[in-house]
Amino acid sequence: MEYENNVENKHEIRRDFLKKLAAAGSAALMTGQPQFVQAKDDSAGNPPAKADACILLWMAGGMAAPDTFDPKRYSPYKNGLEISSMLSTFPAINTAVDNIKICEGLENIASVMDRATLIRSAVQPDLGSILHSRHQYHWHTGYVPPQTVACPHIGAWIAKVLGPRNPVIPAFINIGQRLEGVGEVEELKAFTTAGFFGSEFGPMNLPFPEEAAQSVRPPKGMDAERFANRDKMFRRLLDKNPNRELMSDYQQASMLRSFDNAYRLLSSKEREAFDISLEPKEVLAKYDTGRFGRGCLLARRLIEAGARFVEVTTEYVPFLYWDTHANGHETLAGLHKEMDSPIATLVRDLEERGLLDRTLIVLASEFSRDAIVEGRPGSTASDQATFKVDTVSEMKHYGLHRHFTGGTSVLMFGGGTKKGFLYGETAEERPLLAIKNPVSVMDMHATIMTAMGISPKTQYLVENRPFYVTEDGKGQAVADIFA
Amino acid sequence: MMTCLKRIVRRPIVASFLVLCMGQSQLHAQAPVDFSHEIVPILRKHCAECHSGDNRKGSFSINSRTDLLKGSENGSVLEPGKSESSRFIELLISNVEGERMPPEGARLEKKEVELLKRWVDGGLNWEQGFVFKAPAYEPPLKPRRPELPPAINGRTHPIDRIIDQHLESSSSVRPATISDETFVRRASLDLVGMLPESSRLDTFILDKAPNRRASFIDQLLADDEAYAEHWLTFWNDLLRNDYGGTGFITGGRKQISGWLYNSLITNKPYDQFVRELIAPTTDESRGFIEGIKWRGEVSAGQTNEIQFAQSISQALLGINMKCASCHDSFIDRWKLDEAYGLAAIYASNELEIHRCDKPIGRKATAKWLFPELGDIDPSAKQEDRLRQLAGLMTHPENGRFTRTIVNRLWHRMMGHGIVHPTDSMQTEPWSSDLLDMLASDFVEHGYDLKHTLRFIANSAAYQSQSEVFTPDAETRAYRYEGPRAKRLTAEQFVDAVWQLTEAAPTKMDATFVRGKAIPQKSTSTELTAKWIWSSDGQTTPHAAGEKRSFRKRFDLPKGFGQAGAVVTCDNGFKLYLNGKKIASSENWENPVAVRLDGLVVGQNELVVVAENLGSAPNPAGLILEAKILGKDSPSTGDKPLLTLATDATWEWTDKLPNDSGKFKKAPDDWQPAVLVAAQGVWAGVTPKLLAELNRSTNISMKMVRASLLKSDPMMRALGRPNRDQIVSMRPNDLTTLEAMELENGSILANTLTVGAENLLKRSWPNQEAFTQWLYRQAFCRLPTKDEQLVARELLGDSLSARGIEDLLWVVVMQPEFQMVR
Repeated sequence: MEYENNVENKHEIRRDFLKKLAAAGSAALMTGQPQFVQAKDDSAGNPPAKADACILLWMAGGMAAPDTFDPKRYSPYKNGLEISSMLSTFPAINTAVDNIKICEGLENIASVMDRATLIRSAVQPDLGSILHSRHQYHWHTGYVPPQTVACPHIGAWIAKVLGPRNPVIPAFINIGQRLEGVGEVEELKAFTTAGFFGSEFGPMNLPFPEEAAQSVRPPKGMDAERFANRDKMFRRLLDKNPNRELMSDYQQASMLRSFDNAYRLLSSKEREAFDISLEPKEVLAKYDTGRFGRGCLLARRLIEAGARFVEVTTEYVPFLYWDTHANGHETLAGLHKEMDSPIATLVRDLEERGLLDRTLIVLASEFSRDAIVEGRPGSTASDQATFKVDTVSEMKHYGLHRHFTGGTSVLMFGGGTKKGFLYGETAEERPLLAIKNPVSVMDMHATIMTAMGISPKTQYLVENRPFYVTEDGKGQAVADIFA
Repeated sequence: MMTCLKRIVRRPIVASFLVLCMGQSQLHAQAPVDFSHEIVPILRKHCAECHSGDNRKGSFSINSRTDLLKGSENGSVLEPGKSESSRFIELLISNVEGERMPPEGARLEKKEVELLKRWVDGGLNWEQGFVFKAPAYEPPLKPRRPELPPAINGRTHPIDRIIDQHLESSSSVRPATISDETFVRRASLDLVGMLPESSRLDTFILDKAPNRRASFIDQLLADDEAYAEHWLTFWNDLLRNDYGGTGFITGGRKQISGWLYNSLITNKPYDQFVRELIAPTTDESRGFIEGIKWRGEVSAGQTNEIQFAQSISQALLGINMKCASCHDSFIDRWKLDEAYGLAAIYASNELEIHRCDKPIGRKATAKWLFPELGDIDPSAKQEDRLRQLAGLMTHPENGRFTRTIVNRLWHRMMGHGIVHPTDSMQTEPWSSDLLDMLASDFVEHGYDLKHTLRFIANSAAYQSQSEVFTPDAETRAYRYEGPRAKRLTAEQFVDAVWQLTEAAPTKMDATFVRGKAIPQKSTSTELTAKWIWSSDGQTTPHAAGEKRSFRKRFDLPKGFGQAGAVVTCDNGFKLYLNGKKIASSENWENPVAVRLDGLVVGQNELVVVAENLGSAPNPAGLILEAKILGKDSPSTGDKPLLTLATDATWEWTDKLPNDSGKFKKAPDDWQPAVLVAAQGVWAGVTPKLLAELNRSTNISMKMVRASLLKSDPMMRALGRPNRDQIVSMRPNDLTTLEAMELENGSILANTLTVGAENLLKRSWPNQEAFTQWLYRQAFCRLPTKDEQLVARELLGDSLSARGIEDLLWVVVMQPEFQMVR
């Protein structure tokens, strides 16, 4: 695909975009919509952007660090194994970086570890009851729910502040999460939103990567010619409308501009980016490990075409995927397979295309898992493992089945992060708490925002109150991880 | 009224008083001092009284950073970075009489002085735009009946007399009156949320009576069902009520849908409406004050008690109590203690005051916001405190309450609030005469919401051409130049498309029964149900607290249709159909009508858990009658397929089922129910039972409205909010993602496909006739010749489903369709 010409690598496009939106923007002022608050001094000025685009690889349901990116003492499966002595259920393997080992099953990712920054010390608050959707809300918005205003998703923040990278491609695209018909959808919808920014900055949801092409095609059963004709007739009737002058151009213009934008995407060449079937077979094969793998491929195509923020999730469905309350080991063996090749291929593909330097990839999860500790030591959170046994007597007991908030891994590539760099550390023995350089959710946000050239102090006025991209503007980027 | 931009520039902007100021900052021991959270409260507490606003004792003012640096009459008192040599700090720690600051009272705590020192040493950072001063405008509390200016050019409507004076003083041109067609469309969409039927439009145009616009408005408002189902959207947003959403999954939230619907359809006076919301007499309206019970720990700023304080303030008074829920507000006058005072009215246990999520060592005392109207007795029971609050809220002297609601109605009708945004009732209205007059008029008419809507709709100001506004509209203060065109809400858009296409769904998500109770007169049906219990209560009176399970099993053949029941029990009941709870009530005087959704062919079971309350033995009785109609005779008057009525064929046991109506162990002691002699007090309920029974099986022939459905991706895209938070104004702009949904979303596409098939079935003489019909329906006008030509080109040589579908799309995408102008 030859989309590069459309893609501005700096933020100029935003200015142009803003100019175009000037009229619509002013209309927004009158609706009580959030207003950007100009920082007074340099302290809140935006840092220079290290990345123009961001891909969030979301391991939904709680990715056990000891069974992925932070291997500890390995206890192979055996009948009678004491759960209290079980730390990792996968052996460690070497990676392309001497001092970094990760878990068996992730060999492809191990081979690109020399492009990665691995944070092993992300921490989450203990919210009493360790609930996935609440922690996911926290991670995705930077705020612990409930809040008195609808908080924007991190993708919406980036879309709002930076705008689209290519005006044709929606700035915030969300791949892999169904928002209808699965458990806790209302809780997921609560953060899968632009919140008070309004739907212009909300996600374009593509739950099934293989069906994404459909969402940018004319409606089912309508060919391109008919679609174009319909649009043409829409404009002609608009021209002939005798009441046009009785309506504010202003209001009409902003409405029409939105139609223009939508039509432009639906009839553009860029829409091919949504169609993963156009990918050569041998490339598709490397990604085709499941919905998540195909989502990674879709993300790559969208980033190439000029998307700003893309989230690809393994999908949160209670008790599925990373949400292992039983049979953790076997489930993770499957997940390793599903993620290993696609993630490594994504990194290499972007690198080959010269896009990795300016694309920040973040792999994260709402918390880690442990075989014993729920929350963190001393937590009052109730134990949510499906069965309570002291020793392993069946395969289903083998795995990490409690939620752990004291030390979680985050893997990053590109976007100005160091290559082959390890940051933070967790204890070697239980409790596996972060013992060096803990990184809070707030600071994680500050780090991502800083990479994107957005000050962690960025604020908007909503209901007359300033609302910051990181809580109270207090997030501090982890400076050490940047090259 | 200033526009937002202006206000933003002029208003002191203060940082960070988000509800969450949680402990993550602890990770940074050396974090810079937080001016807003740490410094402002100290300065406000110890210095502001003498050295802020207009007070400059010793010529020293802390109003702004500049003032602070200027120092006192004795010169500079502090320099950034130099706390050691600062006279300011020195005086704060000095114990020398006549020198120490503050001169009287408690000294600053050591912790406070340390913070100030760190602040000075850190460079004296100041939040941009922040100044210490009293707000420039404090809205009046008391109602006021302004004197009306003289009528100009015979425009005598009180609204117009005020507006005309406003226009004159701003030398604005009075906007022209709209055409009848535009009026009919606007009034219909604004008052009942639907496009007018074209027959209604025809009748109206032919009507030559001078008051035909007023009669049309009356007709619209007399359609109680259409009115209720339109305004349901507004109230669901404002009271954050919905048929699904966060919190329901764990039972942490209750709907008020049935109560709200009945309140709207009966046009319950707003003061009574609010009293029932604040101090519920039944569970039906309790959901609003209870808020959302979130799972796990929540911050102190989002407990159910604080949610109560916030919701009451925002929805009913236009007060933003969110800041003050965490600390004294920096943007208005509300204090932490006041937020907690409100919260304590609701709290059933002692409430510890938290500042930014940390306890401050004091308990909250129940207190009302405007003590000039009276106050709450903190020692009263919760129920009584709520009743006292309800009384204070709806106190005749509480002008804030009435101004808030009339302003919201004005905004919905006119596209711009008199105070704007509508939740900022502390800001100055662009016409206080208009606001005060509307509020007084509202009270004089018995808090009648429909009256105020009618009052506004009848004004020339409402019936004027929409303001054609330009980008400069936001840089100047608002002035009325005609109503502002409003975008259709998601629900209005969906309803309008369904009206055109007849493609509305037949089922709704709302579980209440639609329509109004049908009075007994309209039907000849006799009630056959008898009052039953486990004993007749003659020899041994029914014990207080007695709980009984009653059941009825029955077989249904194929071919049953609509089914409904009415039930009541002295004192309360829960009704289960095939293991699903479908109704409950504790108010035996109001029988509950319920649709029997979930019937199956074959065996069905109704289980009622009935309870007798009271402190001494007293009569108990359950009465239920259900009608199951045949599929082919779906109207209320038809003979039902099956009638079920409580009688001796019902059975009882004292075993009770769980919450799903299922018994842990199937009872083996079912015994025949016993008829109970109807008590005198029950007689009054009988007519209600009949009316409700008829309502329960009444299939509303009216289209299912979008407001009765759960949100879907299209409605969400078009701006229907997740109702986790209160929303009083939806965005007025169409966004790109919304446009995408309209361009190729499957929901609209499918609706139009079905609609085109429906429309093709009608016989149209030619394409022109179809286009004319469509334009009349969609725009309330005929197409021009030019429009006819374009439409003809699109429709092709003969009418086809495809051509109709395309023209439908082209028409519903027109801004003229998507706006109420």
